[in-house]
Amino acid sequence: MSSQSFAAGPGRQRLGQAAVYAAVFLTMAFFMFPFVWMISMALKPAGEVFDFPPSLVPAHPTLHNFQSALNPSFLRYALNSVIVAAATTALTIPVALLSAYSLSRLRFPGRKSIMTIVIITQLLPLAVLVIPMYQILADWHLLNTYVGLVITYLAFTVPVSVWLLRGFLVGLPVELEEAAQIDGSTRIGAFFRIVVPLTAPGIAAAATYVFFLSWQEFLFALSFLSGDMSTLPIGVLSYIGEHTTNWGLLMASSTLVCVPVFVVFFFLQRQFIAGLVQGSVKG
Amino acid sequence: MSVTNQRRWQRHTRRSVEAGLGYFFVLPTLLLIALLLVGPLVKAFNSSLTNSSFINPVPQFVGWDNYVQIVHDPMFLQIVQTTAIWTMAVVIAQLVLGFATALLLNRTFRGRALVRALIIMPWVCPGVIAAIIWRVIDDPYLGPLDGLLAWLGVPHPNIAWLGQPQTALGGLVIAAIWKGTPFSTVMYLAALQSVPAELLEAATIDGAGAWARLRSVIIPQTMPVIRVILVFTIVWTFNSFDLIYVLTQGGPANSTQTFPTWIYKLAFSETDFGPASAYGMIALLLLMAFSLLYIWQLNRARILD
Repeated sequence: MSSQSFAAGPGRQRLGQAAVYAAVFLTMAFFMFPFVWMISMALKPAGEVFDFPPSLVPAHPTLHNFQSALNPSFLRYALNSVIVAAATTALTIPVALLSAYSLSRLRFPGRKSIMTIVIITQLLPLAVLVIPMYQILADWHLLNTYVGLVITYLAFTVPVSVWLLRGFLVGLPVELEEAAQIDGSTRIGAFFRIVVPLTAPGIAAAATYVFFLSWQEFLFALSFLSGDMSTLPIGVLSYIGEHTTNWGLLMASSTLVCVPVFVVFFFLQRQFIAGLVQGSVKG
Repeated sequence: MSVTNQRRWQRHTRRSVEAGLGYFFVLPTLLLIALLLVGPLVKAFNSSLTNSSFINPVPQFVGWDNYVQIVHDPMFLQIVQTTAIWTMAVVIAQLVLGFATALLLNRTFRGRALVRALIIMPWVCPGVIAAIIWRVIDDPYLGPLDGLLAWLGVPHPNIAWLGQPQTALGGLVIAAIWKGTPFSTVMYLAALQSVPAELLEAATIDGAGAWARLRSVIIPQTMPVIRVILVFTIVWTFNSFDLIYVLTQGGPANSTQTFPTWIYKLAFSETDFGPASAYGMIALLLLMAFSLLYIWQLNRARILD
């Protein structure tokens, strides 16, 4: 009996399938458990958090922590985060799309060197940039402002989007644009009527990524912002006190910070991954 | 003007228009890079050659002094070592675990679509939130880890996993594996789906077992994606700041200080901009050596053309 037919035997196959389910269960347990714990703690009343050993299922679940999490300062941090992330995304995509088009479709001397520079910007140690950027923003009186943080983010989000969108454009057939040009469209006309619509999935992927990057960025936000201007990561972290911490409140706030990203990625994940794979392998 | 000359002239103009447009479109990106990356890097280099103190806030030029002092400081060796262990452990674990998970999720089972959609969650969870959750999990009184030990009958298992030098780095590595692996998984999964089925069938007909198929078909076919993901996870792990800052602040006893946390500490807790910038330049050199290798590979594969 060959190993092939043996492996296909019904008993062996059922055993193999059971192993698959066991492995999937263990994997998901590892990756999901911390979230389950976060939500469990968020649902516990203040007294129950310190029971030892802690229980996974709250004895007296309450939404009280979520109610107190939605306080004015949290909402202010959320507003800051939305403004910074939305502005960064809105400024990044048009600039990056034009550059990506240029680097994928137009021929000119130095194109390859520019592409190399774009890639190198993704490989820099970020900590080395914090100090001079801090000094530059201080000189321009932009510390603790939205503008200062958005400018800083653009330095990273524009190159990475150029790189992603270029990979996407390289994968599109040039013939469509050429056909439009023979029809009498100008190059720029073809860009808006043909390239932009065709690149929409790539744009969605890049925009999702940029929004996500600026939503969760920590190092620069921590160094440049304080107090009322803090974004969510910095604001929520400030709930951890030197001596006392309201853990239930902290976990409820953490859950609220995660939810928007989870919702976005749940729906856009497929485009995002496809865009990323295409962008990274082709360019 | 002859007809051929006219054609040549037209082609020439079309080319210069194309080049002009090309430069015009990349200009904003190049300006951003020059103003916000190259400029600050030059500034950081200049500042690495100076020293200032609380009493003497105006930076004084000191030449290579900061570098000389760093190289003679035992802390330097410790940071290089910790950064290397941290980066290698996290990157290798993410590669192996990420690929294994991708192979698993590529099989058919019930609920596969849901599992694939959920698996990305740790990666999209903001870094600070991930760190806060792991701080709770590793906490000696709040966390399920020590709770589990208590449940198993260990007396007084209140171990502060992040509070002792022997276990702190390990605790960080596990948190980073949890946070980063899902990204590798979904990317490898996408790559696995593009492996041609005919190749796998042909290998099976030739008598290749699961392991042989993995080695001679699946891994070579997904190599371009593996290479890119490796580069990214190396850079991201090297740069990772939020996890370490929130979980251990580089402690206890500096046992988890890597380049980013140490630079931040020097610059913003001790306002030693000179030495902090010098550390930054050294980090830059380390990552650049690695980047050049990557660029060289991209060039060889003609991906940039």
